[in-house]
Amino acid sequence: MRVPSSVETKAQNYASELKERRWLSNKSFEITLTKPKDFRYIPGQWIRLSHHAVERDYTLVSAPTDPHLALCIRNIEQGTLSAGLSNAPVGSHFNFNGPHGYFTYRPSPRPAVFVATGTGLAPFVSMARSGVTGFLLLHGVNSTEDLYYAAVFKSAAKQYVPCISEADRSSGEYFQGRVSDYLRKILAPGLYDFYLCGRGEMIRDVTFLVDEKFSGSLIFTETFY
Amino acid sequence: MKIYTGTGDRGKTSLFSGQRISKTDDRIEAYGDMDELNSIIGALVASLGPEYSDPVEELQQIQTDLFAISALLATTPDSPSMDTIAGVGQDHIEFLEKSIDRMSDALPELKGFILPGGHSTAAWAHMARTVCRRTERRIVRFLDASFKMQAPDSYQRSLIYINRLSDYLFVAARYCNHLFDTPEKLWQK
Repeated sequence: MRVPSSVETKAQNYASELKERRWLSNKSFEITLTKPKDFRYIPGQWIRLSHHAVERDYTLVSAPTDPHLALCIRNIEQGTLSAGLSNAPVGSHFNFNGPHGYFTYRPSPRPAVFVATGTGLAPFVSMARSGVTGFLLLHGVNSTEDLYYAAVFKSAAKQYVPCISEADRSSGEYFQGRVSDYLRKILAPGLYDFYLCGRGEMIRDVTFLVDEKFSGSLIFTETFY
Repeated sequence: MKIYTGTGDRGKTSLFSGQRISKTDDRIEAYGDMDELNSIIGALVASLGPEYSDPVEELQQIQTDLFAISALLATTPDSPSMDTIAGVGQDHIEFLEKSIDRMSDALPELKGFILPGGHSTAAWAHMARTVCRRTERRIVRFLDASFKMQAPDSYQRSLIYINRLSDYLFVAARYCNHLFDTPEKLWQK
């Protein structure tokens, strides 16, 4: 399936309602929001969600053709909005502005390498749910508990490689190390389209690695904090 | 929120279309000058102040157009990223031309070379004009080197826009002096 790389997506203000909350792990959950009738977006784009005068940006994990909007939230103790979202009752009203961003999939003859750390996986979830296939996905996490979207990538990804850097090194199913270690040691030199989403440190390390080992490849980035 | 990732610490930067290129590349020089031009127009807007809402709105529209051209310059024409880039159209060029005509109608006839300056707003407009001309030269150099002047229409339209913008800024400088009752000083040999 070909995913449109461009549609008219001028950001506007919308009102929405919480439909469902599904816990994915001890710390993370996915919320489903009603989708305003005229809201259009491209997989990889984000919205600015506001609730009780607090704003936070979240990338949509739903597919544009889904009847609802979905967001993956990591519950941070100091995070006022994520804490609010973790216990807001179904039916709560939210406002959001969007869609925003250019971190969208651009089909090309080169193999796509998606690299995420933590919830930086969000845009790739939306892309996979929208029919993007055949990519290599490296997902840097602290624990296997954070691999809650593995099923989404089972058929979409050519290869899904969880990279576990710190804890839980017991299983051989996963690459033990950072995503940058995988790229340095395992991925064959060549020309790729790299899509990087996650912590600034990962983006910097992988960018330098691409300059050295995969020179001539393309890099698209989105920094998650 | 941190604005730095450090990916440019080793002298390369990323284009919107994903390529990693040297910061001395002609393309980077071109949109670097666009950035400078946009900033000087920002200084002109600031010196006018909010009470001059009409020219301020017009200049802010121009700043928005310059962003669109910068995005275009940061994108290679054969890339899928180009689908998301609007650039500027004929209507943007006509917007400048109509404004030039409207300001010119309010101004006395030009009878020689004028010294750049006068009111501080006019001085900013002249600064913007000269940087606009340099930007144009950089874009031409980049297009010459990359496309042998067979550049895609979107780039050609940007070049026309920048050329027209220099004329606009010259007239805008004179208009600022007119607006603030500041006499223009003619060049005396």
